[in-house]
Amino acid sequence: MSIKSINGCIGCGTCIETCPTDVIRKDPGSGKAVITYPADCQICHLCRMYCPVDAITISPEKSIPVIVSWG
Amino acid sequence: MKTRIKKYNRLAALLAFIALPLLIWTLGDVPRRSFLKEAISLLTIISFFMMLLQFFLSRGNGRMLKEHRTGKVVKLHKILGYVFVSILLLHPFLIVLPRFFEAGVDPGEAFSTMLSTWDSRGIILGLSAWGLMLALGLSSMFRNRLGMKYTTWRIFHGVLSIVFISLATWHATDLGRHTDLPMSVYMIALAGLGAILLLRIYFIQLKNKLGHE
Repeated sequence: MSIKSINGCIGCGTCIETCPTDVIRKDPGSGKAVITYPADCQICHLCRMYCPVDAITISPEKSIPVIVSWG
Repeated sequence: MKTRIKKYNRLAALLAFIALPLLIWTLGDVPRRSFLKEAISLLTIISFFMMLLQFFLSRGNGRMLKEHRTGKVVKLHKILGYVFVSILLLHPFLIVLPRFFEAGVDPGEAFSTMLSTWDSRGIILGLSAWGLMLALGLSSMFRNRLGMKYTTWRIFHGVLSIVFISLATWHATDLGRHTDLPMSVYMIALAGLGAILLLRIYFIQLKNKLGHE
């Protein structure tokens, strides 16, 4: 498992829109994001990088370094 | 004897409002992040507990007022109030501050997304509590300009504080990253106890007033 946990989600849905492999879904009851298909996570870090309140944690032990372009 | 009681009171306050929250935070099963993010979280948690302490540094806590000089308690209440209200007013900005130092969403965009998520109960509660906290701070700072009698202002301040702490506690337990079950239970217990201490005073006053009529 790569995406580890979501703590303090405000339910804005940004992570759901940014995830390319549809790992995260919105819980209809609480309106917050939940990790629904963790096995599909490609460790791209987009959900974590675009979460406005930094609620998403990617498991560091199984993570690959994120590639950020510069220049 | 009185000095010893004062010492115990200070120790109890330190344990209940700083040490125990820190212990719960340490034992919590929440993933740790960078030093800056954890420092901001800790500052916010301690500031929130200092706001809870305010209820125990008020007229509601008659037992403590017997042991300490009222003037000193009021002074401490004021200092803690102004310092920690100021810190908590910065709380929404502090959440997006680390975004200045890392890749991803722009801090301004993160801030506007956060504030415009109106379908989130936690955000509505947080914004309401923030507004009430601003009102609490400003109405205390400019009390003399409000044209209210001191006793009227005191009731206004107390009622506003109770509404504020109820919404803020709900917001913290709903959205707080570190508010797992033990932290939530502890926050609710302290907020409830603080509100009861203050409400008790109002009920006693009301009872006495009705008794005289």
